[in-house]
Amino acid sequence: MGAALTRYRVIAWIVGVALILLVVIGMPMKYGFDNPILVETVGQAHGFLYMVYLLAAFDLSRRAGWPLKRMVLVMLAGTVPFVSFYAERRVSGWVTAEQTERTPEPVAG
Amino acid sequence: MAPNHPAGYDTASEIPAAPGTLVAMKRLWTPAWIARHVALVVLVSVFLGLGWWQLSRAADGNSISWGYAVEWPIFAGFVVFVWWREVRHALRPPADAAEEAPAAAGTRAADAPAADATRPVVRRPVRAARVTAPADAGGDADLAAYNHYLQWLNDNPGAKPGDYPG
Repeated sequence: MGAALTRYRVIAWIVGVALILLVVIGMPMKYGFDNPILVETVGQAHGFLYMVYLLAAFDLSRRAGWPLKRMVLVMLAGTVPFVSFYAERRVSGWVTAEQTERTPEPVAG
Repeated sequence: MAPNHPAGYDTASEIPAAPGTLVAMKRLWTPAWIARHVALVVLVSVFLGLGWWQLSRAADGNSISWGYAVEWPIFAGFVVFVWWREVRHALRPPADAAEEAPAAAGTRAADAPAADATRPVVRRPVRAARVTAPADAGGDADLAAYNHYLQWLNDNPGAKPGDYPG
């Protein structure tokens, strides 16, 4: 679980930063100053990074046993600029809280 | 009470709510599930439509659209994948039957305190003590290894096969 959470957090940050680059810098550059270089490069990369984000979120949700609704909300949160960082904080909170709650006990021996 | 069946109706062949039967499929026809099926169809057709749109843009000379034309069908496929996982999850037989054996083993092996007796025992076998079985003197090495594995499983009732040290 810890590794899955780390994978999710890393890719969530990468995707969040790429999205902010795209929306805050790239799109004004393209539509205001007619310079689409950032949109073309970061936009393309963001799409593929978002796939990795989806996989990491799916993996984490399955391991943590989330309901479908929460999984979909976490996946969608990755598409909203700035909100993705908040979502990452919330997810880390949920997962670490659950982990301390249910520490498995050895059965035999 | 058994429903009125015509004479000669083979009730024994009827498996209630087993996966793969129509009875089990009814579980996928609740309002929540219908919403999921609709979401599947809508999302997949929208994503494929967007992919087709990007493909036409790419064909018109917008070379960056080739990337998006690849990305959208993958997203559509991912929606199908998640939907399929949920369907499989819903059609799994109820966990009660499978849970009973480990729970019983858990109460037997680690005698729970009185306070825990009222709580349902949800224990997962994590790592069992490794009891080494005596090596078989027989000639077949594979058979000996398999017997060793079986012996180990027998000695460690709560253990998962993945924990086998040998």
